[in-house]
Amino acid sequence: MSHAIETESLEYRAGKQFALQRLNIHVPAGSIYGFLGPNGSGKTTTIRLLLALLRPQGGRIRVLDGEMPDDAPRLLARIGFVPEQPHLDVTFTVREMLQFQAAFYRTWDARRAEDLLRQFQLDDHQLIGRLSKGQKAKVLILLALAQRGDLLVLDEPTDGLDPVVRRDILFALLEYVSQYKATILISSHLVHELERICDWVGVLDDGRLLTETPMATLKNGIKRLRVRDAPASIGTAPFVVLARHAANGGGGAVTTAGETWVVRDWAPEMASYFDGIGASLDDVIDLDLEDSFVELLRASRAPAGRS
Amino acid sequence: MFRAILYSQWKWSRLIVAVGTIAGFALPLVSLQGAARADRSPLEAEALLHAVQAWGVLYPLLAAALGLLVAIVTWAPDHRGRHIHALTLPLARWRYVLLRFATGATVLAGPILGVTIGALIAVAAATLPPGLHGYPLALAVRFALAALVAYALFFAVSAGTARTAGIILGVIGAIVVVQVFASVANLELNLADHLQMVLTNWPGPLAVFTGRWMLIDV
Repeated sequence: MSHAIETESLEYRAGKQFALQRLNIHVPAGSIYGFLGPNGSGKTTTIRLLLALLRPQGGRIRVLDGEMPDDAPRLLARIGFVPEQPHLDVTFTVREMLQFQAAFYRTWDARRAEDLLRQFQLDDHQLIGRLSKGQKAKVLILLALAQRGDLLVLDEPTDGLDPVVRRDILFALLEYVSQYKATILISSHLVHELERICDWVGVLDDGRLLTETPMATLKNGIKRLRVRDAPASIGTAPFVVLARHAANGGGGAVTTAGETWVVRDWAPEMASYFDGIGASLDDVIDLDLEDSFVELLRASRAPAGRS
Repeated sequence: MFRAILYSQWKWSRLIVAVGTIAGFALPLVSLQGAARADRSPLEAEALLHAVQAWGVLYPLLAAALGLLVAIVTWAPDHRGRHIHALTLPLARWRYVLLRFATGATVLAGPILGVTIGALIAVAAATLPPGLHGYPLALAVRFALAALVAYALFFAVSAGTARTAGIILGVIGAIVVVQVFASVANLELNLADHLQMVLTNWPGPLAVFTGRWMLIDV
């Protein structure tokens, strides 16, 4: 599988409190990769490193067919970027912004820009500074899409927007991907949003990548199990136990009676494992992405040996 | 790319350029208005030279102010956007800085042209006393150099980060501290004077601002 983005032991320290720790990200070419993580987990820092806005303190970054930050000018010509905060000059009109941007990108698609102007119902004579939050977000998406890059990097592009604008933007992104087979890295903490559009997902917490997997695997592989009569020590399981607690959910001590387990990398044939340890599996409950995400974070933050 | 950046530069600095051009055009005309008549005696010619010299102080001030303001507006939008837009454009950083510098210098052509045309008209319209000559082009060239030097200095300062500003302030602070200790210890050391000499005497970078700015001279 070829990768549009690949990092190897990427390290970056920002002050004493935060550091990206040996980050290994692999974004498959042609995928929509959801970059999930709570606020302050390092998503924006990682994106800034990928775009050569920051210099890594260790490791390697490969984007498309080049190395960042060494090949930044050449690679940035093929990357559309939507930052977390609007950064455009507020004294420009939308039209002036389009003309400015078009001067820097050989692949600029003027027709697509006009189509998106209409589709997003943007007034091209309006000053950027007078646009609403949703309109600014649309302009940023428009600029990124009209560049016709091979890779779109979107840092919380729909954060704080109303559902109608969010839907417009996501629709435009999906249309773009289906048309140009581009790769999208989209960071967000809006789990439901990513669940709908992403086919790969990476979960970041406190500068560490907790998991990186196809969306279907994450959604189908994390389960809540109702287990009875399980021994305190369960040896080596064919799945990863993220959490294990009394079934009443009170957070009390694990008992041999009813328990709830949250497990990762689950497959139906693993049910026979419980016969082997003298326990019985009563129920397997599907988790949606948000629950899976929360359980992953809980497990990663739990003190060692608690699960 | 140059055109796109020049357009943005023009949009941000057009008011400054317009005011600077009008001021630059008016300054030579005002400085000679009613002062240059053929029937002046030699003493009055000296008075004329004094008047022209007095007005001449305004040229370096105007050049410095234009350099400062254009340099500030050149970087202000990038600072506001935390440089994210500029840094994600597909060109090397040094090239972007060079383009920004070049477009800022280009818009300064307006005021420089204003001074040139104003000076040429003022000298052409005046009837100078014998022994006095007009130097409109020399004045215009000097004004251009001063404006560009001021622009380059302030461009470099305003392009810098807060850290750069801190370093500059630190150097100034260190000079002050050394000076204070030197005076307490009764040492013959005047760093401020020495620094001023280095900067304002040829070939110092600020030498162009010093001396007499004479549109009319012997």
